Amino acid sequence: MTFDLWTLGFQTANVLVLIWLLHRFFWKPVAALIADRQASAATLLDEAEAKRTEAEAALAEVAEARAGLAAERDAMLAIACKDTAAARESLLAEARAEVETLRDTAKTARVRAAETLKANAMTEAQGLALTIAAQLAARLDGPATDAAFLGWLVQGLRALTDAERTALAGVNLEVVSAADQDSAAQGRIADAIANVLGAHAALTFRTDRALIAGYEIHSAHFSLRNSWRADLDRIAAALGEKGDLSDAA
Amino acid sequence: MDNPLQSVPLFMVGPVSFSVPIMASVVVTWAIMAVLVLGAALLSRRLTLVPSKAQAMAELLVATVDQQIHDVTGAAPAPYRAFVGTLFLFILIANWSSLVPGVTPPTATMETPAALAAIVFLSIIVFGVRGGGVGGFLRGFALPNPVMIPLNMLESVTRSFSMFVRLFGNVMSGVFVIAIVGSLAALLVPIPLMVLDLLTGAVQAYIFAVLSMVFITSAVEKGKPQTAPEIEES
Repeated sequence: MTFDLWTLGFQTANVLVLIWLLHRFFWKPVAALIADRQASAATLLDEAEAKRTEAEAALAEVAEARAGLAAERDAMLAIACKDTAAARESLLAEARAEVETLRDTAKTARVRAAETLKANAMTEAQGLALTIAAQLAARLDGPATDAAFLGWLVQGLRALTDAERTALAGVNLEVVSAADQDSAAQGRIADAIANVLGAHAALTFRTDRALIAGYEIHSAHFSLRNSWRADLDRIAAALGEKGDLSDAA
Repeated sequence: MDNPLQSVPLFMVGPVSFSVPIMASVVVTWAIMAVLVLGAALLSRRLTLVPSKAQAMAELLVATVDQQIHDVTGAAPAPYRAFVGTLFLFILIANWSSLVPGVTPPTATMETPAALAAIVFLSIIVFGVRGGGVGGFLRGFALPNPVMIPLNMLESVTRSFSMFVRLFGNVMSGVFVIAIVGSLAALLVPIPLMVLDLLTGAVQAYIFAVLSMVFITSAVEKGKPQTAPEIEES
């Protein structure tokens, strides 16, 4: 059994050198890398924690903004409901006013149409009355009718005052008849008028079929209507006044 | 078979009058050093945050050593990592070098375990002085009372000596047994013994490293100022 001191020294130096070399090339860099990785992981965890905190803050902001949006939405809905109600009331008022206007217009048009219809009916009635009167007059005894109308003409003249009759005696009078008058008839008429007026007036004769029957006297400032046509006009005027009064009622 | 207790020089260096013998254990140690240093250098050049398999193995080794140091000392592992870790790695590789045909483990010769034990002996002193100063380290020999100073001084030598003898005896005996069995039986018969030798080598490397750490920690703790234990009132 031998124990070599040189070998002991060599091996001691070898192991010491190996410790230093491995410390330099293995233990130190690997441990540093592990520490770096741990530091990186810690940094990443810290960053992740910070990100999570930021995310939670952002989430809280979003929730707050969402709550604000809900409140704003409710307020806008309330305003919209209020505006809608006001617009509805305004539209209803306008519609009511328009309906009233249309109703008034329709009433006016209806009244006007009724008046027009009434006037047309009155005109047609007058025409019909004239036609009926003309046909009835044609069936009557011509001389008797003429004598009756002449008598009513004399009564009309007699109803005038003396001054009026005197004034009429001095002016030209136009005698209008519904049928042509021969000389004898004209003489009879002139005598009857002269008998009432007290003097022979200057007479001119004219025929107007529209009178249907009867005699009328016209001058520049005087008119005595004594014919069926005049009677019908008066009746129509009276009916018109009565209709107006009934409408007014 | 060579006598494992007999170191044979491979060659001599220096002048004839003052030639220095270079034993086989020294050459094998150089080879182990070369493998470890080159491997470490190659590995440390390619360190990345996303580790490769080799880097993951290296990091696992470092983390395991750190955890062991922390479990034993309770302190930060950085000051002891290189020393304890290198002792473990070197002894492990040296013990397992017996698997290489024709190679005798350096730890199977007396000089290498003796050198390792001497380094541990010196490191206990260095770390003890660094931890508590010269006075503190020397005061550690007077604990628990000055009567124990001779025994503590003797113990500081004998425990290193026991480490030397334990490592040398286990590895040498394993190599010796395998050699005897291999010379007597067939070729495959020593294989179970070689497997057992691998286990013995790993255990011895672990024991040597842990005992070193324990002794160093003991010296550091004894060197620190002693305080009365505090009793917590519950």
